Amino acid sequence: MSPLRDLQRDFQRYVTQRDDAMRNQVVDTAQVSAETRLAIYADGYRLRLLEALEDTYPALKQYLGESRFTAAGLAYIDAHPSTYPSIRWFGDCMAAFLRSDASPCDEPVVAELAAFEWSLRGAFDDADQAVTTLEDIAAIPPEEWPVMHITLHPSVRRLDLQWNTTSIWNALEDGATPEPPEQGEYPTPYVIWRHELQQYFRSLPVDEAWALDQAATGMAFGDLCEGLCEWVDAEHVATRAAGFLQQWTVDGLVCAVATS
Amino acid sequence: MTAATTSDKRPYLGFGLGLRTDHYEEILARRPKVDWFEIISENYMVAGGKPLYYLDRIREHYPMVMHGVSMSIGGADSLDRDYLHQLKALAERVQPHWISDHLCWTGVDGKNLHDLMPLPYTEEAIQHVAKRVAEVQDYLERPFLLENVSSYVTYTRSQLSEWEFLTAVAEEADCHILLDINNIYVSAFNHGFEPREYIDRIPIERVYQFHLAGHTNHGDYIIDTHDHPVIDPVWELFAYAARRFGPVSTMIERDDNIPPLDELLTELVQAQAIAEPIYAEAAA
Repeated sequence: MSPLRDLQRDFQRYVTQRDDAMRNQVVDTAQVSAETRLAIYADGYRLRLLEALEDTYPALKQYLGESRFTAAGLAYIDAHPSTYPSIRWFGDCMAAFLRSDASPCDEPVVAELAAFEWSLRGAFDDADQAVTTLEDIAAIPPEEWPVMHITLHPSVRRLDLQWNTTSIWNALEDGATPEPPEQGEYPTPYVIWRHELQQYFRSLPVDEAWALDQAATGMAFGDLCEGLCEWVDAEHVATRAAGFLQQWTVDGLVCAVATS
Repeated sequence: MTAATTSDKRPYLGFGLGLRTDHYEEILARRPKVDWFEIISENYMVAGGKPLYYLDRIREHYPMVMHGVSMSIGGADSLDRDYLHQLKALAERVQPHWISDHLCWTGVDGKNLHDLMPLPYTEEAIQHVAKRVAEVQDYLERPFLLENVSSYVTYTRSQLSEWEFLTAVAEEADCHILLDINNIYVSAFNHGFEPREYIDRIPIERVYQFHLAGHTNHGDYIIDTHDHPVIDPVWELFAYAARRFGPVSTMIERDDNIPPLDELLTELVQAQAIAEPIYAEAAA
């Protein structure tokens, strides 16, 4: 083991766990003790990562308030040290952490709020891709529609939310007091995406959510129609599926259409 | 401001600013008189969306350099190949004049502390960093600069001064130096050395860029927070450095408490007003 690696391990353990093996490896100055000098790094570490979490989860912070957010953030920092070159990814496990026994928050809605904000953050800087237009769709000959399939924009994400999470998020965004958390009888499907640099989200009827999930896997339009018969009469199913496709295209969810 | 070229081979870009999200729209709308921008590389190592949209548009109008915070050139772990691959891909997009990172380590055993941790000033560390800089330069195929960091501790095992260490690494690795004038001031205060001696001992030809920034003074120690204007003693140190090194591409680095663009432009004009008469006098 190199002395350099030993030193870095000791210092990292000090910063992350306040392990005291570093104490004798740092000199005091006339004004400042080694403890104080070392603490600059340990304190800075937590402050910096807390700031990163605040940046990623502004609504979660507002919902929890300063002290509960700090408690949750510090617990997360201890449980999930960063392994990413960019601090932008540091909060990736926050929703799972808030659902776990290690979380100091016992309100289930906060984990959903974190999952929702992480999805918005992901849509923000996911890959760019030119979107398909209604003209592109119209150019597909009708006889090829049964085998037509689409590719969704890289920013498209799906979430099923159990709570009134988006109402709470909207209120926090507007600076209003959010309504109390309320669990729905069934989960509500949501789609989140970016179009022309702006993130969007909307709830989906259950048949549209199913169709979007299947379309994401490359299912052909004919098979989508067949599957949608579970919710829609056979005579109306093609209109319903075409309506979805039109809406997804107009909204910028679709970036390719093909028949082979 | 017009970028010029020095009589020697060192490229001179003039006076620049760190590119920050708060100023994207204003930069595009106003095209302020800034000779070049420095980007934080990691902020643009994303797949798409606003960061790359604005990067591309601003790059159309301004030269750029890339400045990273996570290479961990002094780290004990192997160099992160995936990170270097992303950095090279970003450089292909940006076509920067050079790429820089810090003479530090940022984590070990796969962790990232997201801080610029100081290295011990030892022969082992010199050899370790120099070998890695050579690898990085071979891979990136662009000029590479190492920046001196602010530090708050002195290791008992250090055998050299900071300037001896920085110089030895740069000479051994044959790389360039990004000299952060504020960091010299901060470290001089924290460790009790003479900042002008530091500047006097850095090899002139290796310095390609200066950083100027503000900090937070806690009385007994100073933390390099980049959230305040540059203070007078740092301006004085900058003037001293300008006399020693001649024309070096200089920028104001603000990372927190980001002010309106005009405030940073005013600081930049101040940097120019200090340095250009010194450069002109030396050239006369």
